[in-house]
Amino acid sequence: MEKILAINPGSTSTKIALYDGEEEVWTEKISYKKDKINEFDSIIDQLDMRKSDIDALLKEKNVLPQDLDAVVGRGGPFKPLESGTYIVNDSLINDIKGGNVQAEHISNIGALLANDIAQKAGIPSYFVDPVSVDEFEPVARISGIPEIERKSLVHALNVKATAYKEAKRVSKPLDELNLIVAHLGGGISICPVKSGKIVDTNNANEGGPFSPERAVSLPSSSLAKLCFSGKFSYKEIKKRIVGNGGLSAYLGTNNMQEVVKRVKSGDNKAALIFDAMVYQIAKEIGAMATVLFGKIDSILLTGGMAAEEFLVNAIKERISFLAPVVVYPGENEMESLVMGVLRVLRKEENVKEY
Amino acid sequence: MSKDYIVLAINPGSTSTKIAIFNGKHAVFTKTISHSAEEIAQFNKIADQYHFRAELIENLLKEEEIELKSIDVIVGRGGLLRPIPSGTYKVNEKMIEELRQAKYGEHASNLGAIIASDLGKRLGIPSYIVDPVVVDEMEPLARISGMPEIPRKSIFHALNQKAVARKAARELGKKYEEINLIVIHLGGGVSIGAHKEGRVVDVNNALSGDGPFSPERSGGVPANQLLDLYISGKMKEKELRKRLVGNGGIVAYLGTNDMRKVEDLVKEGDEKAALYHEAMAYQIAKEIGACAAVLEGDVDAIIFTGGLAYDELFLNKLRKRVAWISKILVFPGEEEMESLACGVLRVLWGEEPAKEYKSD
Repeated sequence: MEKILAINPGSTSTKIALYDGEEEVWTEKISYKKDKINEFDSIIDQLDMRKSDIDALLKEKNVLPQDLDAVVGRGGPFKPLESGTYIVNDSLINDIKGGNVQAEHISNIGALLANDIAQKAGIPSYFVDPVSVDEFEPVARISGIPEIERKSLVHALNVKATAYKEAKRVSKPLDELNLIVAHLGGGISICPVKSGKIVDTNNANEGGPFSPERAVSLPSSSLAKLCFSGKFSYKEIKKRIVGNGGLSAYLGTNNMQEVVKRVKSGDNKAALIFDAMVYQIAKEIGAMATVLFGKIDSILLTGGMAAEEFLVNAIKERISFLAPVVVYPGENEMESLVMGVLRVLRKEENVKEY
Repeated sequence: MSKDYIVLAINPGSTSTKIAIFNGKHAVFTKTISHSAEEIAQFNKIADQYHFRAELIENLLKEEEIELKSIDVIVGRGGLLRPIPSGTYKVNEKMIEELRQAKYGEHASNLGAIIASDLGKRLGIPSYIVDPVVVDEMEPLARISGMPEIPRKSIFHALNQKAVARKAARELGKKYEEINLIVIHLGGGVSIGAHKEGRVVDVNNALSGDGPFSPERSGGVPANQLLDLYISGKMKEKELRKRLVGNGGIVAYLGTNDMRKVEDLVKEGDEKAALYHEAMAYQIAKEIGACAAVLEGDVDAIIFTGGLAYDELFLNKLRKRVAWISKILVFPGEEEMESLACGVLRVLWGEEPAKEYKSD
C-alpha cells in the first residue's frame, strides 16, 4: 500500500504520522516549551528547528524519505481556495515565505515541512483542505455593510473528511448529497455542504454560536458601543471574542467534560450556559438548513466535542426535525490529511494546483 | 354587542406624528402631521418636543371639528421603558417620569405616553400604551450571547408582531396562546420573532445589530472584522454606529433605502441590485431557519408583515427558501394605529386585563 507521511504543526508541537494506505503505522508528537517558541519572531523562523527535529524522529523510526510515496502537510490560512488536495508548488512556497497569506498561523509551515522531506526523495508533497477553503456563493459574502465582507474560514479538513465518510456510509457520491456538517471543537464551524461544496459557514472567528473559547455572535451595535466605551482595550475585547469568550467567560473553564459534569451535578449556572450553547448551535444549524432550501440528507456532528454524548443528545433533541443526525466524533486531522492524498493517488479525485 | 368606544391613537415618529380616531375598530379619521428637520432640531431632548407636538395635535383636532369630549380613551405608542411582558398598560406616573428622563434611551415613541397622559388628564379619561418595543418574553437561555458583558436583549417591533400574530391565529382558527409562529416584520429594520404559545421567546434585536441586514441596518456583521474596522480608525464612532443602524444594509450598498426602487432595478436586470436583494432574502431566511430550530420544528405558520411584505418579488425569494418549514401567511403593511386601538379595546371589552407598569 501507499506509504504516506503526514505532518501537522501546532502552536507548541509537531504531530507526525506514518500511514500504510488507510492504516496508521505510528503517530508521534514532538513537543516544544512555550518559552522556546517565544524565542522566534515569526512562524517562518521556526522552520529549521522543526525540520531538524522531524529528521531526527524519522531517523529514530528508521524511515527513509525514499521509502515514502508522498508527504502531506497541514494547510494554513492561505489565499481563498477551492476545496481539495493540492500539490505543494513554488508559487505556494513563495506566498508562505513572502507572508502572502490571510493570517500568521503555525499551520502555514505544514506545506514547507512536507516539501522539505519530499524533495529529498523526489516524491510529491501535498496539503489538503486548508482553513481558507472558499466555496461561498456570492450571496453568502454580503455582510450588511460594504466595509466588511463575510469570509470563508472554516475547519475544512475535518468538515470535508466527515462529509466523505458519510458519503461512503450511504454509498452515494458526495456530489449527490446535501449535508450540514457541524464541527464542534474549541471553535465551532457549521457548514451547509451542497454537492461537496462548503457554500456557507458561520466563520468560527466571526459569527455563529459561541463555543468553549469564543464569543462570536455578538450584536454589532452593542459591540461597537463596548469598543468606544473605553472600558476595555482592543486587545481585551479581541481576547473576549476569540480565546476567552464563550463557556470560559461564563464558567471559567473551556473543558466541555467538566461543564457536563457540573450540569449533571445540578449546577444551575452551568446548565443555563450549556443549554444556551446548544441552543445557539441548533439555531445555526436551522439557519444553514434554509441555505439548502430544507433539502438535507443528513446532519453530521463531528469534532472533539462530538464525543460528548450528553452534548450530542441535547443538540439532537432540537434539530432532529430537520434530518437524520449522524455523529462522527473526533477531529482526526492526520487521517483526514492522508485520506485526501489517497483520493488523489488512487485517481478518485484530481489533484489541484495552487 | 361590545360598546363602540371612541379611541384617539397617537403615534409619534422621528419626523412625524400620526393620529387617528377610531369608532370601535373602525378608523374614522387618520392624519400624519409632518415635522421638518429644523423644527425637530430646536429641541435638545425628545421629551422637550412634548408641548410642540401636543399643540399641533390639539389644533388639528380643533380644525377638523373633532369634539374632544366625544373621546372615551387615548392610546399612545409605547416608548423605551424597562423590559416588560406584552400587553396593554395603563399610563402611570412612574412610566411618565422614566420616559421624561429617557431612563432607557431616547426615542420619539417616548412621547406617545407623555402626550396621551396629559391630554387624558385634562379630559378626565384614561390613557394607555400597547406593546412597546421593549416587550420582553425571552427565555433565559436566549439572553446569553457568549460574552457576559453583552447580554442579548429583546427590543423589536412588538406592536405589529403581536397584532399580526393574533390575526394569524384567528385566520388559523386557533388561539394565539396555543400555537407556534415565526413572525417576520419587514420594515426599515427587520425583526424575526419566534412566538411560542403566545410568547416571543426569541427575536433578533434589529436595533443592536443582530440578525439579517435590512434596508437601513447592517444586522449582525462579523465580530472580529468589526473590531478591526473600529481599531483602524477609518470610521469615527458616530459614522460607524450610523453604518450599523440608519445607514447600513441596502442603503449602504445601493444608495437608496426605498425598496420599491430596488425592486424596479432588479426587474430591469441590474445585477448589483439583484445580488443585494437576494442576499437580504438569504439572511432573513437564515434567521427564520434559526427560529424554526428555537421552536424545534413545531411551527404552525410563518407570517410576513411590514411595508416590505408588499414586494412580491422579494416575498417569492423568501418563500422559495423557507416554504418547507411551514405554511406562509402574509399581512403586508404595518397597521400601528389599528393595533394600538385594538389593544385598548381588548381591555375595555374585558377580553384581557390592563397591566400595571412598575419600575424595577
